Amino acid sequence: MHSLYEIETTVKRVTKHQGLSWGIAEEAGKIVRILEQSELPGLESFNRLINTPYSECTKSIDLQINNQKQLCPIHFGLFFLDQSHHFENQNQFHINSIQEPLLIIPFLIKAAQKNLITFNFSSNEINFTITPGKVVSFDKKNIPPQANNIIFDISNQRQKQYSDETWNYLYQLSLETFVEESEEKKLSGAGAGLTDND
Amino acid sequence: MQIDLRKPEFVMKLNRLGSFHQSKLSFLRSFIREFKDWDFETKEISLDEMGFGHCVYVVKNASKQYSLVCFSNHLDDNERSDRVIATKWDASFVLFDGIPSTEDIQRLKDNVPLQEQGRVTEKELCLSRANKSVRVFEHVVDQLSQGKQPDTKILYDVGYLYRTTAVYGSGKFGLADRIKVQDREELKGPFRLEMMLVFLARQFTFDMVNHVAYQRSPKSAVMLDDNIARNLGIGNSTGLGMAPFIVNHPALLNQWIHSREKALQAIRKLPEVTKDELEIFHSYLLTIQENIQFWKTDSEYQIKKNTELSEDLIQFKKYLSKTSLEKFFWNSLYLWVEENTQPECCELIVSLLMEVYPDLVEPLSYEMSIDEEDYFDIDTSRTIGDICNLIENNYGWLIDINFETKDNIYNFWYYSKNKQEPRMSDRFNEEGAELELPLAIARDINLLYKQLKNHDPMEHLSKYLQKSQEYRHVLRRIFICEKLPYSEIQDNTISRSLIPVDMLRLKLSFFGATRFDPRSDRWVRITMYQGAPLMKEISLSDDTWSYKKIA
Repeated sequence: MHSLYEIETTVKRVTKHQGLSWGIAEEAGKIVRILEQSELPGLESFNRLINTPYSECTKSIDLQINNQKQLCPIHFGLFFLDQSHHFENQNQFHINSIQEPLLIIPFLIKAAQKNLITFNFSSNEINFTITPGKVVSFDKKNIPPQANNIIFDISNQRQKQYSDETWNYLYQLSLETFVEESEEKKLSGAGAGLTDND
Repeated sequence: MQIDLRKPEFVMKLNRLGSFHQSKLSFLRSFIREFKDWDFETKEISLDEMGFGHCVYVVKNASKQYSLVCFSNHLDDNERSDRVIATKWDASFVLFDGIPSTEDIQRLKDNVPLQEQGRVTEKELCLSRANKSVRVFEHVVDQLSQGKQPDTKILYDVGYLYRTTAVYGSGKFGLADRIKVQDREELKGPFRLEMMLVFLARQFTFDMVNHVAYQRSPKSAVMLDDNIARNLGIGNSTGLGMAPFIVNHPALLNQWIHSREKALQAIRKLPEVTKDELEIFHSYLLTIQENIQFWKTDSEYQIKKNTELSEDLIQFKKYLSKTSLEKFFWNSLYLWVEENTQPECCELIVSLLMEVYPDLVEPLSYEMSIDEEDYFDIDTSRTIGDICNLIENNYGWLIDINFETKDNIYNFWYYSKNKQEPRMSDRFNEEGAELELPLAIARDINLLYKQLKNHDPMEHLSKYLQKSQEYRHVLRRIFICEKLPYSEIQDNTISRSLIPVDMLRLKLSFFGATRFDPRSDRWVRITMYQGAPLMKEISLSDDTWSYKKIA
């Protein structure tokens, strides 16, 4: 097995070899490192990407154009990392296809945490939601080489994930840690005097 | 009294950085301070009569162990080379996390002597190799085998028995990633593991000469005298491979320099200086003046610097003899030195000042690491005008450099395919410039600045990045430099006038190296741990060993 350092530097150099700038190459090395450290097959994904062949990938991300095809996941991820502070409320984009969707995930995690936004990615092959929280889950065994018919939602509105009954029940239980006050305590407990007109 | 940190535009020039000396903040010294209460033991010496085989040294406390496994192999004289392109060495070393099993040692034996061509695993932390100083090694073994101690004149002219030619760590060649060990308390300072490897390898060199001398003549052989051994360090031969590190790790570089500058500032701010403190300073000054005579070099560049250093020290002593202990004495002294001496002397005095105040300086060694990941991301919500201001404020020195002039873009840095090491070449006469590494920081920020000046200053950086990602790598640095002002070398690292040895010297001084001996403008020999306590006496170290008289 290779160290994370070896993986990161190798991916960085290969990305540069594909004609991308050093700055993008540094980002690519970092995301593959993060994926491998998270025990996700980032290096395999990256290898497939550059053999797409990579020159056929769409690197220019333009949200004004619906249904862009065969998007490069590095450019896609970087776009949302760089541009997410612009998004307000709800945004939805339709994309025809993205290569190696696994590679966009570390970018989106950073963007979500930095800008407190949520990304919802739905496609024929894989669905996942990335939030400003720390937990991300998807089926590790089902990571497709390409995602098609994508609906990509961005929102800065946190969605409620529980019922009112659940909240009310838990809230009532939490009150059990409070102390019932006598009339005397009500007057003295907060530390205020009997008269506050001094 | 208001005494500021020295300004980055003063400190971060290569002629000054290339004049830094070892100090209390140097990593080999902080290593000894950190580990002096650990147990050091020789666990195994399995060498044949010629000294070939392996040895194991262990460093441990109640809960943790580290082991150095050393391999000694036969090497023909015509195969011995300090160049990084060498493929065989007299000795090779690996620092193991824990105690290696017999199977581990066999696996390491098959791989460690091969160095870059072998593979190690995440059980291993650092990798290194060394060659004998043949003349010194033979002299010592010959004398010891005859029951005599070696001629210290010969020994101290060189300063070591073996010299390492590379020390690798942090994930190289399959080694454990830094992330595996970064939270360990004992490893909070930079390069602790590398310093441990070199310290233990030094002990191996002593055991080696004692072993071979004994095997040569068991009846007459004596052991190398401790007083002589203590004044031997371990050499190191370093080329350009080390230089890009300080460019590639701007946040880390800032921590190193900032700690040093904070130490100097704290000392200059002291309103009172006692006679005892001044006496300590005097004694270190005297010792260093005597030890400079052992700083041998054939480099005209270094000879000139050393000559100036000696002359400056004479003037400095004259100045010192005329001063009295007035308020803010150290500040006055420092200002005189800055005004009247060359950087080589000025930075030596800075190091000497630190020796007087261990309580002020030593805690700063824990501020010399940083999580570089925290500084990786770019804030794209900033405006173009903001970025231009940052460049004007922090990189003003590069704005007027003409990067169309041949001499200003003369060199390019590249990665050698043969040895996986960075190198530098003449852009106009050698091939490969299209594969240039992103180390031309001054040129790229200059070009970025020119581009940004053509944009609306109120526009967000994100908009610029939608159109161009060419300079993303230096944009990252501009944000780092905003927060960490000592993160950039303020010189053009591709200019024809660049002296790369200055970059090596900067890094090596923080390691704690002494006796800088440039062999060209691109590689240097140095000594580490000369005068340091021996392995068996490390617990007695009071961190004053750097300024003991060598002979």
